[in-house]
Amino acid sequence: MNAKDNGDMLLRVEGLVVKYMTDAGAIHAVNGVNLCLRKGETLGLVGETGAGKTTIAKAIMRILPDPPAKICGGNIYLNGEDVLRVGEHRMRQIRGNSVAMIFQDPMTSLNPIEPVGRQISEAIREHASFSRREVEEHAKKMLEKVGIPRERYGEYPHQFSGGMKQRVVIAMALACNPELLLADEPTTALDVTIQAQVLEMMKGLKEEFGTSMIMITHDLGIVAETCDNVAVIYAGEVIEYGSAQEIFDSPAHPYTIGLFGSLPGANKNARRLKPIDGLMPDPANLPTGCKFHDRCPHATRQCMKEEPTAIHLTDTHYTKCFLHWR
Amino acid sequence: MAGILETRELCKYFRTPRGLLHAVEGVNLSIQEGKTLGLVGESGCGKSTFGRLLVHLLESTSGQILFKGKDVTNIDRERLKELRNDLQIIFQDPYSSLDPRMSVRQLIGEPLRLKGGMDKGKINRRVEELMGLVGLAERFADAYPHEMDGGRRQRIGIARALALEPKFIVCDEPVSALDVSIQAQIINLLQDLQEKLGLTYIFITHDLSVVEYISDEIAVMYLGQLVEKTSTRKLFEAPLHPYTKVLLSAIPVPDVHCKKRRIIAKGELTSPINPAPGCRFAARCVYATPACKDPQQLQEVAPGHYVSCCRAREINDIPILGKE
Repeated sequence: MNAKDNGDMLLRVEGLVVKYMTDAGAIHAVNGVNLCLRKGETLGLVGETGAGKTTIAKAIMRILPDPPAKICGGNIYLNGEDVLRVGEHRMRQIRGNSVAMIFQDPMTSLNPIEPVGRQISEAIREHASFSRREVEEHAKKMLEKVGIPRERYGEYPHQFSGGMKQRVVIAMALACNPELLLADEPTTALDVTIQAQVLEMMKGLKEEFGTSMIMITHDLGIVAETCDNVAVIYAGEVIEYGSAQEIFDSPAHPYTIGLFGSLPGANKNARRLKPIDGLMPDPANLPTGCKFHDRCPHATRQCMKEEPTAIHLTDTHYTKCFLHWR
Repeated sequence: MAGILETRELCKYFRTPRGLLHAVEGVNLSIQEGKTLGLVGESGCGKSTFGRLLVHLLESTSGQILFKGKDVTNIDRERLKELRNDLQIIFQDPYSSLDPRMSVRQLIGEPLRLKGGMDKGKINRRVEELMGLVGLAERFADAYPHEMDGGRRQRIGIARALALEPKFIVCDEPVSALDVSIQAQIINLLQDLQEKLGLTYIFITHDLSVVEYISDEIAVMYLGQLVEKTSTRKLFEAPLHPYTKVLLSAIPVPDVHCKKRRIIAKGELTSPINPAPGCRFAARCVYATPACKDPQQLQEVAPGHYVSCCRAREINDIPILGKE
């Protein structure tokens, strides 16, 4: 990590390893991930199903179900405090107050038999000593901020559409003004015009509150629009990291290049898409060496045996691939 | 020019406790042989219902479906069986459209068995041929769907659809459940098959970048109504309907240098139950006037460019044909 990583650094994940212990053996979901996030920054975690994106976010929140999940190594520093080593009482304070998470399906976070306003109030009461009246007023203000009339405070989740439910969840997540918002595919379940509304709103709120964000998505279009930096995840590892401009203009890892070649939106004039051969490796049975070697057009014998370490192409851009070592 | 498949004023209403749900309302479409028509719209716009009407998985309420110029709207079981030799469908969810207790060989052979007239050996040979065609290795012949990933399962779905050598395939969100790298493999496969077998596709999806890539022509639906239809190039270069403009501007573009202006539509989809006559987008449209409450006709506003909006010419500065 470079010299200026003190003061404004909000989150630092170092060497995070997470396994799921099953009867059939260990599933290697996250294999030594390093990430860092400055205050006010948005970091995109990009990768396909099963790459380990959500597991990383849940590890930061410490909401992985144990068993079967086991955090086997690494540190997660939030404002210098290692959240993997604090007690459950302290963790409850951190959750909501410092870090909040929103999920793809808003009903993951909402209680179907309680009015949405009360659910937002509950989140506020957990972390602030306001009077009953103040709490309700603050919750109503949050509803307005996400574009829902305050009169809907007493309505139940089923009375809201999918896009509106996701707005409620965002209001709930931001109610205590957390420093870090983990957004796990927040708009994937929404239609494009609604997605556009929600993304636009999130951008505005992020600026207003100065929240830092980790945006987990498989949609490179959303990454281009919202993220400052991007980490490309493959088989539980960050295989490329850089500013959004570096990743989009000069992708370096063959997997990242393959992802762009697979996108119909980025290849309008191509007669054929250039997909990546093969499939994601089974995390219960990862290949040796570089985990991408069996799908990589440039793989050599070295790639099969040795694991590539990160090589910096610029101060901010690194990749784990032997191509760039040669 | 008459297409291989045409619909005339096709309607499908569903009875619900709260009233009549107008899922598909008066859709006129014609699809040219060997081409791909993309049908796009958001969830609930009736695109999948429309696809199902075409292959008679649902019966239409009114209107006509013509296949190769013949009316096939109301046909008996015998003729429907014949029609299915030519008209097939691929579903979105390869997980739920395959019987989990059948092996790949049985699944792909099922349409052939149902059609009859083939002995076991012949069916087996045809299954192997089909597996080769869709890129499934022979070692999977005795595997079951749960042992395979989404991309391979979708290949089984495609092989089943191709078994009877159809001319026309309704592809209902065939790649939406797949990861991008696998999605690209399936899109390439569908394109290769079209070239090799001269297939006609109607490609139903909500993913505009996929539809832009694969279609020759695109039709846009909004709450059961067809709002715009033209060539892919024209639609993306100069959309004329206010809804299409909103829809296209909403796609996130995978390019950090792209700074496009986004048009945000106010509100959300209104209910398709007992809708008022007239344009259904009017409630969210910035150009709406009282005239939008009258029923709208799909009209050719520019050559080959059909729009169902009474203000299309005005808001896009298009002179009326024949006048200057």
